[in-house]
Amino acid sequence: MLKFSNIVKSYKTGEVVVDALKGVSAEIKKGETVALCGPSGSGKSTLLNICGLLDDDYKGEIWLAGKAVSKDKKVMTQIRREKLGFIFQRYNLIPVMSVYENVEYPLLMLNMNKRERMDKVVDIINKVGLKDHISKRPDQLSGGQQQRVAIARALVKRPEIVIADEPTANLDTSTANMVIDLMRDLGNDLGCTFIVATHDHRMTDRCHRVLNLADGNLSAFNPYETHRRAG
Amino acid sequence: MRWISFAFFNVCRNGRRSLFTILVATVAVAAILTTSGFALFTYQSLAEKAARDEGNFIITHQKFLKAEEDIPLQYGLSDIEKLIAQLETDEDIKSVLPRINFNGLVSNGEKSSIFIGLGVDPEEFMVKGPFLTMLEGKALSNFDNEGEAEVVLGKELARNLKVTVGDYITLMSTTTDGALNAMDFTIRGIYTTGVPDLDKRQLYVKLSDAQSLLYTEKVSSLSVYLFDISKTQQTVLDYQKRDQSLEFTPWWERAFYYQSVKDLYNRIFGLLGGIMVLLVFFSISNTMAMTVSERTREIGTVSAMGSYQWEIIRNFVLESSMIGFIGAALGIVASAFIAWGLVYLGLEMPPPPGSNQGYPLTITFSWEVAGIVLLTMVLVCVLAALKAAYKGSSKSITEALSHV
Ligand SMILES: Nc1ncnc2c1ncn2[C@@H]1O[C@H](COP(=O)(O)OP(=O)(O)OP(=O)(O)O)[C@@H](O)[C@H]1O
Ligand SMILES: [Mg+2]
Repeated sequence: MLKFSNIVKSYKTGEVVVDALKGVSAEIKKGETVALCGPSGSGKSTLLNICGLLDDDYKGEIWLAGKAVSKDKKVMTQIRREKLGFIFQRYNLIPVMSVYENVEYPLLMLNMNKRERMDKVVDIINKVGLKDHISKRPDQLSGGQQQRVAIARALVKRPEIVIADEPTANLDTSTANMVIDLMRDLGNDLGCTFIVATHDHRMTDRCHRVLNLADGNLSAFNPYETHRRAG
Repeated sequence: MRWISFAFFNVCRNGRRSLFTILVATVAVAAILTTSGFALFTYQSLAEKAARDEGNFIITHQKFLKAEEDIPLQYGLSDIEKLIAQLETDEDIKSVLPRINFNGLVSNGEKSSIFIGLGVDPEEFMVKGPFLTMLEGKALSNFDNEGEAEVVLGKELARNLKVTVGDYITLMSTTTDGALNAMDFTIRGIYTTGVPDLDKRQLYVKLSDAQSLLYTEKVSSLSVYLFDISKTQQTVLDYQKRDQSLEFTPWWERAFYYQSVKDLYNRIFGLLGGIMVLLVFFSISNTMAMTVSERTREIGTVSAMGSYQWEIIRNFVLESSMIGFIGAALGIVASAFIAWGLVYLGLEMPPPPGSNQGYPLTITFSWEVAGIVLLTMVLVCVLAALKAAYKGSSKSITEALSHV
């Protein structure tokens, strides 16, 4: 599904050059939920941004469904629009839009007709359990509820890959667990591939695979082992 | 429609700031419309006055307006009876008034002074309505005293000569043969034009008396009045095409005062309007820059989801044109109220330069100008939003997303 090889990324701030990624490669299969772990500053966000086609300033290559992804801005935007979903740490819902409108937004960009949009939006909002809040604005919702809206927004168009950067970092344990289960279950139902950056072992426990980043290099871990160590 | 409603919610999101910007636009539009309305009113009244004083157009000898005459009425019109009869068959023409411009010396027997005389058809005072303010006595009119030579004088001229209604004065002028002629006139009235320079020199006599004084049958010009002043241009063109030997001149070419006031006002109020527009531009630019920067993370989010830059810019442009539109619409309403309030209050403007009469402060509300101003405001807001939104949406997505 998604393959990246030899990704090298360095940040330059004035004279100082930070090598955030020093040539990382991996392959993620369709339907897999992969956790990206590592200490703070290890380059998780950097790698996710590159995989999510948000950043075109790197060395290395990315393949999506067997095809190399060009670094053309327009092409990248179009792929994001059609095939990728994003979940952010701080939810990033659009404040002037209702829950319904926030979830509908990605479908609007795909020029789907109204009937079809409505079916999909209502369906996914039911699935994330926010039926009763459908016309509320984000600021009328709790953090957990907002993140569920964000999950619905990311999944409503059935993207091939969902990119989530620390989606549970701002949530308390029970809410985080619920959000994690929701992501996994819905993702399994829809056959989405998930890449989740997290330090949260609650999250890594529930993933198929864990990729561990340390100091800009990647190594694979068995989730069971991770769990034991964390415990 | 959807994007418009989102734009509206976004405008309301920072209500206080939007309101302030809207108010700036409102005040600017109201100021522009009020000043331009005042200018429009001035143009209209000057145009009316000019068209009334001189006629909607005048007919003269080809050279009358271009060359100096060697002797009086050298370039006058002769045989006017036929011409007038012909003109009066035209259905658009209300009336035709012959006129003689002449000058010479006026004397009370002891003291004399230069005068500028107008020989007019007594009917002129009926056609033109109250264009002179009579201070004493009566205007020239054709009710009575056919035989007697009568004159109405400007007020300063009368004061200078120490004469009053009923007194006799003598007018001296060169005849068309080049000889000197004098005639006695009874003073029938004293008037003021509101322009001191004219009051000092001007006098009116009956056309027939002027012709006797100058010893001629000719007149200087014919002033033509139409039923509909807006047909002037067409009528002038038609007549000029038919008759090349005469000169047909529309009122605005003779209305030098009107033209110079118009030029002056256009410049002053144009500059003022430009400043107002700039003010709105800066204000809306500032607002949009703040809005865009506050919503950097939102821009990052929708970009990540696959919005193109132009879609993001479009939303900000909608918001700011909404601000501009609301502001301008309120400004239009405000200026309509001001226009109405001025009529209600009946304020007087001080006399303009060269005059000693004030005039009512009135503004003319024009939908055309209002529409143009509204469009300009919206355009200015669009430009400001384009600038701010382009800058905001050109940031890298990762940077925008990590914005706090
Ligand atoms: N915009 C930037 N400019 C300069 N250096 C950066 C920038 N973004 C990240 N870095 C550096 O790159 C390295 C990797 O950062 P990254 O944000 O990818 O880490 P992370 O694993 O996501 O950390 P965290 O768990 O705290 O989110 C860090 O050393 C960081 O200082
Ligand atoms: Mg990070």
